[in-house]
Amino acid sequence: MLTEGVLAGPRHAADEPAVPAGAPVLEIRNLSKTFPGVRALLDASVTIAAGEIHSLVGQNGSGKSTLIKVLAGVYEPDAGATASVRGEALALGDGKAAHDLGIRFVHQDLGLIDNLTAVDNIALGFGYDTAAGGRIRWRAQRERAALALSLVVDDFPLDRPAGTLTVFQRTALAIARALQDFGENGSLLVLDEPTATMPRDQVEHLFTLLRRIRERGTPVLLVTHHMEEVFAVSDRVTVLRDGSIVSVEQTADLDTPRLVSLMTGGVHRKLERGAGPDLEQVALSVRGLTGDTLKGLDLDVHRGEIVGVAGLGGSGREEICALLFGAEKRTGGEIAVDGKTLPPNDPGEAVTRRIGMVPAHRHTQGLILSESVRRNMTLATLTDFVKGGRVQRKREAAAVAEHITAFGVKTASAEVPVNTLSGGNQQKVVLAKWLRLKPTVLLLDEPTQGVDIAAQADLHQLIFEAAAAGTAVLVCSSDEMELARISDRVLVVRDGTVHAELDSGRATPHNIFAATLGTAPDDGAAGHLDEDLGSDDRTAASPTLSSSPVSSSDPVDGE
Amino acid sequence: MTAPATTAARSKGSGPASGVAGKASAGSRILQKLAIDRFSGVYIIVVLVVTFCLWIPQTFATQANLRVLLASQAITGIIALAATVCLISGVFDLSIGATMSLSISMVGVLQATGGVNPIVAVLISLAAGAAVGCINALVVTRFNIDPVIGTLAMSAVLAAVSWWVANGETVLYGLSPTFVSFGDIVLGVPAPIIYLAVIAVIAWYVLEHTPAGRYLYAAGANPVAARLSGVNVTKLTWGALISSGVLASAAGVALTLQLGTAPFAGGVSYLLPAYAAAFLGSTQIEPGRFNVAGTVVSMFIVAVAVRGLQLRLPDAPWIADLVQGVILLLAVGFAVWARRRRIARG
Ligand SMILES: Nc1ncnc2c1ncn2[C@@H]1O[C@H](COP(=O)(O)OP(=O)(O)OP(=O)(O)O)[C@@H](O)[C@H]1O
Ligand SMILES: [Mg+2]
Repeated sequence: MLTEGVLAGPRHAADEPAVPAGAPVLEIRNLSKTFPGVRALLDASVTIAAGEIHSLVGQNGSGKSTLIKVLAGVYEPDAGATASVRGEALALGDGKAAHDLGIRFVHQDLGLIDNLTAVDNIALGFGYDTAAGGRIRWRAQRERAALALSLVVDDFPLDRPAGTLTVFQRTALAIARALQDFGENGSLLVLDEPTATMPRDQVEHLFTLLRRIRERGTPVLLVTHHMEEVFAVSDRVTVLRDGSIVSVEQTADLDTPRLVSLMTGGVHRKLERGAGPDLEQVALSVRGLTGDTLKGLDLDVHRGEIVGVAGLGGSGREEICALLFGAEKRTGGEIAVDGKTLPPNDPGEAVTRRIGMVPAHRHTQGLILSESVRRNMTLATLTDFVKGGRVQRKREAAAVAEHITAFGVKTASAEVPVNTLSGGNQQKVVLAKWLRLKPTVLLLDEPTQGVDIAAQADLHQLIFEAAAAGTAVLVCSSDEMELARISDRVLVVRDGTVHAELDSGRATPHNIFAATLGTAPDDGAAGHLDEDLGSDDRTAASPTLSSSPVSSSDPVDGE
Repeated sequence: MTAPATTAARSKGSGPASGVAGKASAGSRILQKLAIDRFSGVYIIVVLVVTFCLWIPQTFATQANLRVLLASQAITGIIALAATVCLISGVFDLSIGATMSLSISMVGVLQATGGVNPIVAVLISLAAGAAVGCINALVVTRFNIDPVIGTLAMSAVLAAVSWWVANGETVLYGLSPTFVSFGDIVLGVPAPIIYLAVIAVIAWYVLEHTPAGRYLYAAGANPVAARLSGVNVTKLTWGALISSGVLASAAGVALTLQLGTAPFAGGVSYLLPAYAAAFLGSTQIEPGRFNVAGTVVSMFIVAVAVRGLQLRLPDAPWIADLVQGVILLLAVGFAVWARRRRIARG
């Protein structure tokens, strides 16, 4: 019932289709985009057909977001590009034209105003509902926000500032905002990495919604780094490499290894764990940690050990790193690092004690977006370069140059603002910032969000090297595959406490996921884990996306 | 806060465009060489000076005029640096004008009525500026009051206090002659311009070359991320507000020794020029961020334009306000436009 108003519009598929299924809706021809020192796109041509979910994949910095931003009018393309929507010419680089032709966007950084509530954020996309005299009709406005959100997610806290929402809620809010007037003249929905940090149980939710939109004949363009999602939801896939389109395929004709090699050009690496944990020495000891959702969490991480933490949205997992680091105030519990108590709510002290944290919200918490790559990388370790009260810029620049190479950061230079980097490359900068601290304890919250599959392996290797050097690593992640691949053991958090512990033998993606839902893990076999990137088939490993065990009430059907 | 340098989601200038050489026309290559987007202010000053020298040579192109210009800008410059430091830290301090007034009253009354040694009087005035900064910091960091509102209120309170200290009168006599001699001409220039130069160099060094400066920029642009990198943002806010209080007081002292009198509300009119210079400065030298060199250059643009027009139109006392207001609008508008263009073109 809710659906009819907003999502339904004309039912192309059922009635007389305005556009026959398969006919091109969006056509882009010969699109190039050059930034100072970087060619982001080179002669790219893309066709999106009616009634398809189309994935756009490629490594970090391959030009996916740039393509989307040109379409959205954020960037002007180089001369020579043309585009049309349902045969009507579209001036690329003109955001209003794209909007008028019914293209809607959810960008990688979501574009929410952090100190406004969901109601306001939604109004900002569409305008406030006003009565005579310009008075805002708050009740109507609220209802509209609630309606828009109900299409994406259940139980949304309408009155919390966006900055205090979880990653999933923020994404859902951005999608709801983009979709709110979609029924009227929607021609294409574009989503740039909506699932980067979304808990798996919610991903299926989102995909149900996307399929619904597809059924109406409205195509969806989706960017993702998760291969299993490409196969689970999309009909066709376009592969970008270094700004050029290398392949356009039916998903049915592809498998993961083939897709990965199209993206990477066939390079892949094998991970080497190096020295294992030193089980004699506890580096991080936590007793009774309590916060908003956590209720008395206990855990130990040994020197050189990598401990994974899994848990659904709302389980308390999202809080752990922030509470341990002192980013948020804990309401109870003791934390000891190398046997010495860590005071609450003092990130400065944490850094002095060589504790690092890669936060889940890269844009708001991880980076100073307007500052250069160099300044971001050394912010936590600036004192390394200080002599006589002065920052020795040469030494700093040399160190940063080394990190840029070691982490494979794709950037025009170390001096450009970090917001000119692609999402995955920004994430690498955050990791580099903390790994250069040579931390005693490294807290990782969604550490490889938005990082492509090859770069993820590189970053995992760097995490392994840190562990081999003695760092105690705690990884909180919504990606079971990642947890299974790098953890020595995995703790599963449910209802604010540790619900299960899986040793590395049993920590398969399948078991981890099952445990997050509260079901007992199987003994072994079900999901096998292959370290080799080339045969990294997440579809087989993850039960969610092939046959959903989650009874996620279909949000679109909701009466 | 509302500074061009701080809105997280927006892209900042990446300096003059490099690369893409193949596509750049000869014209735009020349523009790049001249680094118009960084040094436009310097060129504008040259153009203004040449224009006025040709237009009104008898009054503008004189040594006396140069001295007046430098002397008045020395004071504006010091207080503009106070504004710059605050804006870098992401905080508006609207009390700098009133703090300057307080310092004028104090340094005047202490000498004239209190008979206090001028050095002690200066130190007490500077300490008063620091105290104002502390109160501002307390209000902002402890009571979480919006800095604009907190410092605006502070400004009203300070206006009352200065009036009370000076008993509502300008101190005309009784300033120590030694004190006043520090406002004289030294090495052919008014001494206060030398004080400005010294203060600007120190501020530049601290902001650009010390960890404190780096942290201040980081905390101003994204306090959350800075805190999560171990930066003590609260301490920096204190530091910035105390510095601006002391600098505003220094501007008050400099004005007093230059005038030889202490007008008890003399700081108020410096607030707008200070912020105009700082905002215009964020489009200069290091576009996209508030910076010391940019502030100083911008201040001279405004000064030359105002001074030239004042001399040309002696019967138009409103010209200074008009020019300052218009330049501030143009400056902020230009900064926004330049940033949009940089984002779209890359
Ligand atoms: N505003 C900008 N200024 C300069 N260079 C930019 C800008 N935006 C993007 N780039 C560069 O263009 C290239 C492509 O970036 P883009 O964001 O499109 O990558 P992406 O495919 O979305 O990567 P990711 O998967 O990491 O998000 C990168 O090398 C990036 O550094
Ligand atoms: Mg991207």
